[in-house]
Amino acid sequence: MRGAAGRPRRVSPRGPRAYNESCVRPFRGELTVAFDASGVSGAVVSRGLRGPRLRSFARASLEPGALLPQPLDENAHRPEEVGAALARVLEGLAAGRGPVSLVLPDGVARIGLVEVPAGVPPDQYVRFRWAQGLPYPSGEAIVDVLPLGGGRAVAAAVRRGVAQEYEAVAARAGLSPGRVDLAPLAALSALLRDPPAEAAGVDVILGDAAYCLAASHGGALRVLRNRRRDADGGEAGRLRREVDRTAAFAGNGTGPLRVRVVGPGARHLIGELLRSGRAAGPGWETDGGGLPVEAAELAWLGGALG
Amino acid sequence: MSRPDFSTRGRRADVGTGDLAFLAAAALALSLAVTSAAGAWGDLRRAGRDVDKVQRETEEVSRQVRAHEARQAPDTVLSARALLTADSPPPRVLADLETLLPPDVRLLALTLDYGEGLDLALQVAARRAASYDLFLQRLQESPLFTGVRPGEEVRDGEVRAQVRASYRSRRR
Repeated sequence: MRGAAGRPRRVSPRGPRAYNESCVRPFRGELTVAFDASGVSGAVVSRGLRGPRLRSFARASLEPGALLPQPLDENAHRPEEVGAALARVLEGLAAGRGPVSLVLPDGVARIGLVEVPAGVPPDQYVRFRWAQGLPYPSGEAIVDVLPLGGGRAVAAAVRRGVAQEYEAVAARAGLSPGRVDLAPLAALSALLRDPPAEAAGVDVILGDAAYCLAASHGGALRVLRNRRRDADGGEAGRLRREVDRTAAFAGNGTGPLRVRVVGPGARHLIGELLRSGRAAGPGWETDGGGLPVEAAELAWLGGALG
Repeated sequence: MSRPDFSTRGRRADVGTGDLAFLAAAALALSLAVTSAAGAWGDLRRAGRDVDKVQRETEEVSRQVRAHEARQAPDTVLSARALLTADSPPPRVLADLETLLPPDVRLLALTLDYGEGLDLALQVAARRAASYDLFLQRLQESPLFTGVRPGEEVRDGEVRAQVRASYRSRRR
C-alpha cells in the first residue's frame, strides 16, 4: 500500500483499534448536533451514490429552563446539563471525528426576507439594512443569507456571543464545531427544494421557543414571518389564524392551499389544521424505521439530509 | 442553494480524503465533458445565432416600449398624481389609518408615495403581538387599503414592524 508521496503507508503499531480511530472513523459520516429548549439531538448522515442516508440518531431531553433560546443574552442557563445531554447523545451515535455541524434553535436569530440590489454582496447589504434595527451593536452580528434567486434571499443575524456559547458547549464535549446553521433556515432550505404541487402553500417551521411561517405562491417565497411561541392551550388556534393571514399576505386567493408543518409539535398542529378543514401534512417523512420520533418533529432533519 | 454559516470563525473550506476522491472523479468527468463539448461545438454556434436573433428582437420590442412610454407617461402620471393628491390628501389617509389602530398600537412613521396609485410605507409599534395582528387584520379587511404586505418585524419587548399597503381612493 502506497501513500500519495510514494512512501509506504504505515499502520500504527498500536493495532487495528488505533487505525480504526484515526482512519476509519472520519468516514463514518457527517455529524449534526441540534439544540433546542426541550433537548439535544444528533444525527450521523452518510452520503453515497444513492444520496444521503441517516445512519444513526440520538436525542437527550433537557429539563425546562436549562436552555432558553433567545437572541440577546446567554441561552444555556445550566450549561452543565446541556453538556451532559450532549454527551448522552454522542454516546448513542456512531460518529466520526471530523468537524461537526451545529444547528441553533429558532429564537436566537433575527430572520427576514430581503431583496438584494444587483452587484451587492447579500450579507453586506443585510448588515447595512439591519444595522439600526438590531438590538445589539451590528459589529457583534454574524450575518448570512440563504439565496433564493432573482435577487431575493432569506437573511439571518445571530449575535456572536450566542453562537460562541453553543460552540463552547460542543467544544467542551470534545467536538470540533464546524458549520453553524439555524434550524428554521435548515428546514426552509429543504422545503424550498421540494415545493408543493399546489400553486400556493404555507410552511410552518416550529421550534420550542419560536416558529417561522413561510408562504409561497407560484413557486416563489413571498412572505416570511418569525414569531415567539406561546405554547398555552390556544396556540393551535392562533397558529391556524396566522397560517390563513400569512397565506392572504402572500397573495393566495381562494385557490387550494397546502400547509406543511415541521418541528416539535408538528403532528399536533397538523391534526388541528386537518380538523379545521385545511389540507395539511408533514414537511417530510422517513420511508423506514431508525428514528424514535416522527421525522417531521425534527425541523432541521431535512437540511441535514439535503 | 448554498447553505448559510453562522460559526464565529467564519466560512471555511473542508477538504478531506473524500473530497479528493470526488476531485479525481470530477477530473475524469471533465475530460469526458471536453470530448463531448468538441462534438457540441456546432450546436453552440447554432444556439449563438438564435440568441443573437432573439436579442435583436428583444431590443426592438424594448425600443418600442420606451417610445410608447415616452409618449404617454408624463401626462398620465402627472394627472394621476394631481387627482390622487386632491382626492386622498395626507390628512385623510392618516385619519383613515388611525381608525384602524388598536389602543396599544401607534404609528411611528408614514411615507406616502403618490404615483399612479398611492403607496404607503408604515412603521408601527405595538405593545403586544396580538395587537399588531389585530391591526394587520383590520388593515387587510378595510376596503380603503389593498395590497397589505407586512415587512420586517422586530420583537424585543414590544413589536416594531414595517408594513406596506396601497390606499384605495374613495372615488374609485
